Order: sequence, then structure tokens, then C-alpha cells
Amino acid sequence: MSPSPASIPPAPADAGAPLYLERNYLNARRGLWSWLTTLDHKRIGVMYLVLTSAALFLGGIFAMLLRIELLTPGPTIMSALAYNRTFTLHGVVMIFLFMIPAIPGIFGNFFLPLMIGARDVAFPRLNLLSVYLYLTGAAIALYGMIHGGADTGWTFYTPYSTTTVTMVWPILLGAFVLGMGSIVTGLNFIVTVHTLRAPGIGFMRMPLFVWALYATSIIQVLATPVLGITLLLVAVENVFGFGIFDPARGGDPVLFQHMFWFYSHPAVYIMILPAMGAITEVLSAFARKNTFGYRAVAFSSLGIAFVGFFTWGHHLFTSGQSTVDAGIFGVLSMFVGIFTAIKIFNWTATLYRGSIAIRTPFIYVIAFLFFLLFGGMTGIALATVALDVHWQDTYFVVAHFHFIMVGGTVAGFLAALTYWWPKMFGKSYSERWGIVGATLIFLGFNFTFIPQFLLGNEGMPRRYYSYPVRFWPLNVASTAGASVLALGFLVVLATLLLSLKYGKPAGPNPWGSRGYEWKTLSPPPEGNFLTQPTYPRMPHDYDDLNPGRGGH
Amino acid sequence: MSAETEHKHAGPGRYVAVWIALLLFTALTVALGRSHLAGSWGLPVALAIAVVKSTLVVLFFMHLWDHGGANRLVLATALVFVALLIGLVLLDSATRFPLADPPTEATMRLMPPGPGAPPGVEPAAARP
Ligand SMILES: [Cu+2]
Repeated sequence: MSPSPASIPPAPADAGAPLYLERNYLNARRGLWSWLTTLDHKRIGVMYLVLTSAALFLGGIFAMLLRIELLTPGPTIMSALAYNRTFTLHGVVMIFLFMIPAIPGIFGNFFLPLMIGARDVAFPRLNLLSVYLYLTGAAIALYGMIHGGADTGWTFYTPYSTTTVTMVWPILLGAFVLGMGSIVTGLNFIVTVHTLRAPGIGFMRMPLFVWALYATSIIQVLATPVLGITLLLVAVENVFGFGIFDPARGGDPVLFQHMFWFYSHPAVYIMILPAMGAITEVLSAFARKNTFGYRAVAFSSLGIAFVGFFTWGHHLFTSGQSTVDAGIFGVLSMFVGIFTAIKIFNWTATLYRGSIAIRTPFIYVIAFLFFLLFGGMTGIALATVALDVHWQDTYFVVAHFHFIMVGGTVAGFLAALTYWWPKMFGKSYSERWGIVGATLIFLGFNFTFIPQFLLGNEGMPRRYYSYPVRFWPLNVASTAGASVLALGFLVVLATLLLSLKYGKPAGPNPWGSRGYEWKTLSPPPEGNFLTQPTYPRMPHDYDDLNPGRGGH
Repeated sequence: MSAETEHKHAGPGRYVAVWIALLLFTALTVALGRSHLAGSWGLPVALAIAVVKSTLVVLFFMHLWDHGGANRLVLATALVFVALLIGLVLLDSATRFPLADPPTEATMRLMPPGPGAPPGVEPAAARP
């Protein structure tokens, strides 16, 4: 890989460093048993990479089945019940097995200790436990999927989930166990940030990805127990007959939606905040500029985490919630836009007059900014109660949350993956094919979901396997876009996997980044550092490259 | 964190006392529930006993009596969010039906002009 336009001379520590560290964390110990019992945060990150990528692949197959079914107005390849099961499994797999655990599990585990100069996370055994909780939860949910699946949608609304004939129980239990893994990860990261920062890394010198992970962890610890309580209450109602959600026994089905979204709205920020953190890192590295407004970006992560707890009722505007509550939640939801805007303006200001290098990770950054802005603005529109009544349960909502969750989380995930791949595995991937994959994903994504905005606005409801003929052309466009998107993912997968065998050694810092995680060798040694690095500069400090215009 | 805080934990006597208190409160809850002595105050009384019991658990079994600072802040934050969840859900059920189901005339006034509109409302087509 050739040096980027604004080439940075290697830091003194890099001079004379090997291009590829022969004895690294991947091969210092050998055998399957050494992986299954590892306490190394880097290996745990790699295990999460394999597991969550498999989940992404599975969820993607379900998505393609849905799009093929919707290729024609009538039944195409499946029955109505099979369609209901498929979209439920698509949602469950993508949300609980991929988007919530992926970025914290992979990049949080791998890079949080490297970024704060620590040898490991605070509780390595709890960290390993979180992998096994993930595996157990996934296995229970998969058992339910194989034995019939569920048709309730990933939201498990009562009374669907209490009256359905499908196998919803293993999937609920799986979500419960996965939630425990999520709490364990969050707790571990909070303690790690508080107790294991190396000398010289104060709170106000932490890389911004660490700030984002910290805010995410607070949500994981505070919100996830409510999901557990909600799922337990469903079980209690069914087993002991208490009236909690069943109106015939004095319960209230809307209470389920309140409690479910008290977790699941903040869960959106469990998905998107780590992506925002990764984007901040990548953007600064490829613009060769200090992150504009370090404090604003850091505190807006906490702001999003906090305000995210006050908005859950916007999912209940048409569910019989009172108009007073709906009005309050509509206004509170818009506050999220303020903190998100702070980030977007700061990112844009970081790009301004930077020496921008258009590399694969940077294309995902641009895609992310586009998706987040588009998804965010349609979210503000949806938070307006009167507009939501028109759009509720249409493809407009589907397109909106895919822009945020796929466009935001997956673009952030891919930016992080392509940016940190050389550090994780020590190999460079083909830049040409990396750019091809990123471009296919950007185009395919837009062709998939922009037609869905139009369909929803025309009134096509979600969760039906057939539709009137007038919606046909836009559905064909959406399915065609989804095929391009799937092809893009396959190109990315092939590019990265081939680099493991054929890629050139990347060197300790191929992008010339000033991030703290690059201060070690590639791939890192088992104990993270051969010599403890020092931290004389801020983590995103490119001042010396930008005389007279850095240092905001 | 551990070295400076762990030595403060009290001996088993305190935990046994708290445990007996918890058992007594449980017995009280069951007795009140069986006897219907509290009448319509049954639910508030049961909730009050539950709050006292969980306070005992948090203060002694979870060591908040001995530990200050950040741990108390974490508990306070969690309580704020519990209050938030319960508060806005109760606000929903307290305000739900009268406002979500307005009287018929009010509904009719909101209806768009057209067939079925109440007398006195001009049809939309009549406007220039
Ligand atoms: Cu929401």
C-alpha cells in the first residue's frame, strides 16, 4: 500500500519495527482449546468477529428471501405464515445477534485496551463468559428457529407472543440470555475505562471511540435489565396466570410496549453509538486533522445515551397511548436530533480543509454521513405525532430504521473493519476491491431503501407478503437494490478473507494514524505491547501537519 | 478499588439481623394479605413494605451503607430511570381515555367536510 497524500513520518517507536510481527496474539498459543479458553481480549474480539459475521450472513439470507417474496404482488416463493416467520427471524438475528453485540464485541474488545494502553480488560474471565452467553443465547434462539420459528415480529408484542402457535418461547429465552451477555460486556468496559487507563491518558485524552463505548456501556447496563424483566413478566403471566399484559385478567397490552421500548429504543443507541465512535476515529485519520470539538463529540455521546431513555413512547403513537404522553414523547424524541447534529457538524468541520485520502474506510464514512443524515431527518419527521399516524407501520418506517440501523451501524461496522483490519491481522487487503465493495454497498443500499420510503408514503403497509399491483415497480427496484447490496457484502468478504492469505504485510501503522491503538505492532503481541507506549499527544492530534489551522 | 473498601465489611451478625428482618417483613406481608386488615390500603401497604425490604437489601447485602461516592451515584441514576419508566407509564394510563376518546361533537368538528359531514359544514368542493 502506497503512503497516503499527506504522508506522515513514522513515529520514533515505529522506526525499525518489523512489518509483520511473527510471534503475535494469533499464533503465540495454538490449538482450538487455546481459543475456547482464551482470556485475551484480542482473541475474544476475533471470536466475536467470526460469530457476528455468521449472524450477519444468516440475517442477510433471510432478508434476500423476503425481497424475493416481494418481487411479485402475489405469493412468490412462500406462504403468508412462512413470510411472517422469515421477517421475524430476519429481525431477531440482525438485532440481537449482529447489531447489538457486533461493534462493542469485536472492536470494543479488541481496541478498548489498546487505546487506553492496558494489557487487557478489567475482567477477562467475565469477557470470555460474555462470548459463551452469546453462543448459548444464539443456540437457544436457533433451536426455536429450526423448530418452527416465531411469527410475532422481533418486538414480540402481546397478545401476539402469548397466543401464537409458533415456537416463540426459545426465541424469547435466547434474547434473555443474549441480554445478559450484553450487560456483562458493558459492565466490563465501564470498569476498564475507570481503572485501567495508562499514565498520561486522562478522561479528557481518551480516544473518542472509547468515549462512545463508555456511553454505550452505560445504556447496556441500565436498559438491558428492563428487557429481561419484560420477558420474565410474559413468562410469569403465562405460567402463573397473573394479569400483567392480558386485559381479560386485568392487565394492559400497551404496558408490554412501554416496557419493551424502554429497552429497545436505547438499544438503537447501543447499535449506533459505537458506530459513531468508530466513524470519528476513521474520519479524523483520513482527513489528517484533529477532531473538531473533542469535548462536544465526547459529551454528545453521553447526551445521546441520556436523552435516548426519554423517547420510547414514540413507538406507541397509534397503540392507544394517551395523547398527553404521545405529545411529551414526540417533543423529547427530537432532542436526540440536537446531539446527533452536534456530531454531524463537528465531523463536517473536521473534514473542512483536511488533506482527505479517499480510501476504502473513508468511503464508508461518507456513506455513513449520508445515511445518518437521511435516516435521522426522517426520524425527526416520524417523531411528529400527526405525521406518524400517516406513516405508522408502513414501509416509510421500515426504510427509516434501516437507514439508521443498516446505513448507520453497518457502515460504521465496515468502516471500522476495513480501517482496523491491518492492525488486527497484520495484512493489507486489495484497495481496489475494497473500494468496489464499498461502492456496491452504498449504491445497493440506496436502491433498496429509497424505493421503500416512496412505497411507505404511498401507503404500503409492512409485514404483508402480498400487495396491490400499483406497488409492483418500486418493489422490483428494491429487490434489485438488495441484490446489489448482497453482492457488495460478498465482495467485501472475499477481499478481506483473501488478504489473510495473499495480502502484503501492512506494517504497524499503514494509514499514518495518530490513534493510540496504532502504537503497537501488527498484529499485536500477546501482551499488547513489547514496550509500554507513551502518550505525549492527544489521540487525534495532527497539528504539526496543519500549521496554523489545527487545534480547535 | 477493592483493597481499600473490602476491609470495612461488617461481621456476619449484621447480615443475620437483616435477614431476620427481611423474613419478618415477608411474614407481615403474607399476614396482611390473608387477613384483609388493610382493606383498600392493601396495595400501598404491601408496596411500602417491599420498598423497606429492598432498601435493607441495597444498604446491607449490597454494601451501600459502607460504600459511598460512585456506587451511590450509580444507584441514584438507576432510581431516576425507574421513576422515569413508572412515571410516564402511569401518566399514560391516567390520561389515556378521556383525551383519546373525545365527546362525539368534538370528533365531528374535526371531520373533513364531505359526505356525512354534520349540517352547517360546507362541502370542500364549494370553496373557490
Ligand atoms: Cu425509538
